[in-house]
Amino acid sequence: MCFNSFFFLFFFMLINFFFFVYFIMNGLSVFFEWEIISFNSMSIVMSILLDWMSLLFMMFVSLISSVVIFYSKSYMNSELNLNRLIILVLMFVFSMVLLIISPNLISILLGWDGLGLISYCLVIYYQNLKSYNAGMLTALSNRIGDVMILMVICWIMNYGSWNYIFYFDFMKNDYVMFIISFMIIIAAMTKSAQIPFSSWLPAAMAAPTPVSALVHSSTLVTAGVYLLIRFNYLLIDMFFFKVLLFLSILTMFMSGISANYEFDLKKIIALSTLSQLGLMMSILSLGFPDIAFFHLLTHAMFKALLFMCAGVIIHMMNDIQDIRYMGGLSLYIPLTSLCLNISNLSLCGIPFLSGFYSKDLILEMVSFNSFNLMVFILFYLSTGLTVFYTFRLIMYVMISDFNLMMIYNLYDEDYIMLNSMFVLLFMSLLSGSFLSWFIFFYPYMIYLPFNLKLMVIYVSILGSILGFMVSNMGIYSLNKLLLSYNLSSFLCLMWFMPNLSTYGLSYIYLNFSQILFKNIDMGWSEIYSGKGIFNILKNYSVFYNIYQMNNFKIYLFSFILWFMILFIFFFI
Amino acid sequence: MMKFLFMMIFMIPLCFMKNMFWLVQMMLFFMMFLFMNLNLNIMCFFNMSYMSYCDIISFGLILLSIWICSLMIMASESLFKLNFYFNFFLFNVIFLLIMLYLTFSVLNLLLFYFFFEASLIPTLLLIIGWGYQPERIQAGMYLLFYTLFGSLPLLMGIIYIFNDLNTMTIYFLKFFNMNMYLLYISMIFAFLVKMPMYFVHLWLPKAHVEAPVSGSMILAGIMLKLGGYGLLRVMIFLQEVNLKLNYIWIIISLVGGLFISMKCFCQVDMKSLIAYSSVAHMSMVIGGIMVMNYWGFIGSYILMISHGLCSSGMFCLANINYERLHSRSLYINSGMMNFMPSMSLWWFLLLSSNMAAPPSLNLLGEISLINSLVSWSNISMILLMMISFFSAGYSLYLYSYIQHGKYFQGLYSFYVWFISWVFIIIFALISFKYDNFKGWFYFYLILNKK
Repeated sequence: MCFNSFFFLFFFMLINFFFFVYFIMNGLSVFFEWEIISFNSMSIVMSILLDWMSLLFMMFVSLISSVVIFYSKSYMNSELNLNRLIILVLMFVFSMVLLIISPNLISILLGWDGLGLISYCLVIYYQNLKSYNAGMLTALSNRIGDVMILMVICWIMNYGSWNYIFYFDFMKNDYVMFIISFMIIIAAMTKSAQIPFSSWLPAAMAAPTPVSALVHSSTLVTAGVYLLIRFNYLLIDMFFFKVLLFLSILTMFMSGISANYEFDLKKIIALSTLSQLGLMMSILSLGFPDIAFFHLLTHAMFKALLFMCAGVIIHMMNDIQDIRYMGGLSLYIPLTSLCLNISNLSLCGIPFLSGFYSKDLILEMVSFNSFNLMVFILFYLSTGLTVFYTFRLIMYVMISDFNLMMIYNLYDEDYIMLNSMFVLLFMSLLSGSFLSWFIFFYPYMIYLPFNLKLMVIYVSILGSILGFMVSNMGIYSLNKLLLSYNLSSFLCLMWFMPNLSTYGLSYIYLNFSQILFKNIDMGWSEIYSGKGIFNILKNYSVFYNIYQMNNFKIYLFSFILWFMILFIFFFI
Repeated sequence: MMKFLFMMIFMIPLCFMKNMFWLVQMMLFFMMFLFMNLNLNIMCFFNMSYMSYCDIISFGLILLSIWICSLMIMASESLFKLNFYFNFFLFNVIFLLIMLYLTFSVLNLLLFYFFFEASLIPTLLLIIGWGYQPERIQAGMYLLFYTLFGSLPLLMGIIYIFNDLNTMTIYFLKFFNMNMYLLYISMIFAFLVKMPMYFVHLWLPKAHVEAPVSGSMILAGIMLKLGGYGLLRVMIFLQEVNLKLNYIWIIISLVGGLFISMKCFCQVDMKSLIAYSSVAHMSMVIGGIMVMNYWGFIGSYILMISHGLCSSGMFCLANINYERLHSRSLYINSGMMNFMPSMSLWWFLLLSSNMAAPPSLNLLGEISLINSLVSWSNISMILLMMISFFSAGYSLYLYSYIQHGKYFQGLYSFYVWFISWVFIIIFALISFKYDNFKGWFYFYLILNKK
């Protein structure tokens, strides 16, 4: 199953790659439409849009998923139901492809809803309480987006069809488009875990690591970004896009800080994914969709690689994810450390790795365009924070002594995992340059003052020094954090966002529903219908029984009384 | 139409023979396939004979009821194995099917009323006869009297219509416009109770909890749809009053749908959770019918059929768990994925259909209902969003509670009882999915022809 799926997906990747090259060379885009149902002068169609963007994204998705499936052959080796995982991953790829190729809202919903459900199944793949809760959080956060898409479907019905791309030109300033853009942005924010909804992404790390590499780093979470790239033409002037800019920058900043407090290896990577998503969203909402797409693709490569390295390390550490137990791994597992370091440095944007091309472009575009000071400062702070937590992670994992046990089993010869990592290593070395040659026909013209140009270097150096210092903090200085306990708990708990979306909310709703159930279903409506009427009738019949059974005289008397009344009625 | 009626009537002696359980069941399947190949006329009614006819609404619902009845027999095969009066059970089911068939196909409003009420009796007998707890008597009474409370005014209304118009042919009633408040209330209230609307829904969870699997399946599958069918039929000659008063029912059912779907979160009984979820879906159907536009009409029809398939499938699954663990409590039924991994796929498919996930027919229905309701009023968008969100919530709550987590520690022994349950599941649920696609296909046909 693993190898078959691997070959299938790899072949699919190659096809996509060839078509991508063909399409982008000739400037082609192909649009299929299949009309499923048509009534009331509206038609529900299944439409497929193939252009270089969708083909390229499909190529990346199928490449990462093929590699991940290959990888999970070894990672999930002793899993009894491996086939279930593979089938779920294939379903995931299918719905992702459905989402990528459809320019129609109903067919987008197919992929979008499918992504939510399948990622739910993948998160609860392991049977423990943590993954149960994480899966619920993931599914319900994504469901908000699904509901928004449903509502967009019913609003876009005003135009008579659901092919949204046709309405961008004429209906751009329409009131309905205003609502649609609002809902689309909320949907994208749930999928891409922007600020009010971002607590699900670190929680979803309860999934198996290959799944995290595929779903929660590179593909599913970028679906929101992709949707907004498709809707970009509509949204670019909207007020909500400015709000999105604000929220996404804050997401980037927030997750950068929280990653520095975190000790869970996968959660650090998840938070760095979150910060990169914020970066993509913010550059998108500044009005550069192609750069956002570029960063989406390069990020997908090195982040999937990072997760796979983390998986290897977790595998070797007897399933321990805490980075405080690790250390000195570069001496024992050089190949995995190579991959980890390259992907990490690529994440920081070290020159000529893939992340450099996109991230440097983003930061220079931000400096080049005149936005306000807050945007500028937060962008550079978050870039510094990225380097900060990356160096902290490298220090903890790579340098110093091994902290777990006396007897350990670190080996670097699992070639199934390593080979699959090497594919992505190759891609995360080269994809930046090759994509920038492919998809930008002409280079961006940027000129900056010298210090502004070197701003990235400054914050990177500052961040790396800080990361080095933080990783060497003794227990004494860690205790000093307790002096500002409120601040540090605020920062390390992702600005209390898990409280917002889990126990903070659910308690209110569950309490309310309990009250509803008790007072209405078991209370008032029972009294006023079933039980109440029954009691009234029973009481009356008991009452009349007293008349009839117990006192024969009263019965006769009432008979005479009735007789007299009738007499009076008829004859007087 | 008469041929199917006679086919069913002549199946009654078969019920009382020995070891004819599966034969009756297969005959019902056979009949369904015969009925499916009936010559469909999209524009108008077809196959008219003596007192019965068939148009596209009744065609789908008859198909659904034959299908659900044969699946009911399949799902309650333990009656046959345990020799628990299965002859009478079969007779009961066939009788119920005849009543349902006639309800959906008769041309006359009074006869419709007659069979509408008569279908209550075999359901009552199913609950009282094959239910599990002593509380089933009370549940039966609830079922009976709630429905009768609404339907006696319905009789008065029908007789009034006959006095006034001198016809009771449903097909002709669409040429009239009866602008009377009392008639309006009396005509629709019975159906609203049957659907059930929010405040009069109390009979449904009770009946579901006490009913055997067959009773639950038929209740969720067909009996709720009787109300929807009736509403679809009577809306047409009450147009003017509808415009004045329909908003009441829409508001009650939408707010009620929200409340009901929130109440699902405090259920610990599988069956009662599914029953409450079906009330929440039916509230959307009421809204769609009451909005009175074409999207709402089609959407409520589609959602009725898809919900009939999906919720009866879920009741069947709940019963399979119940037969093995002898409890419907969510706490005892947890962790089933370890024992029945393939079952968890079916649970997931059905529950995802229940929350209107993509490939299901429910999605088509729900999209068109949302379209119609939002086109009626923008504010209903908020309620619909909440209903749709919570429907995912309780579906996943049920799924993950049953399939996930630790299994019940007091579980002494667990075995897959009969091999034939595999066949039941495969038949019931593959064909459920097949029916979904078939449904899409039918709607493809129907809607494109218009």
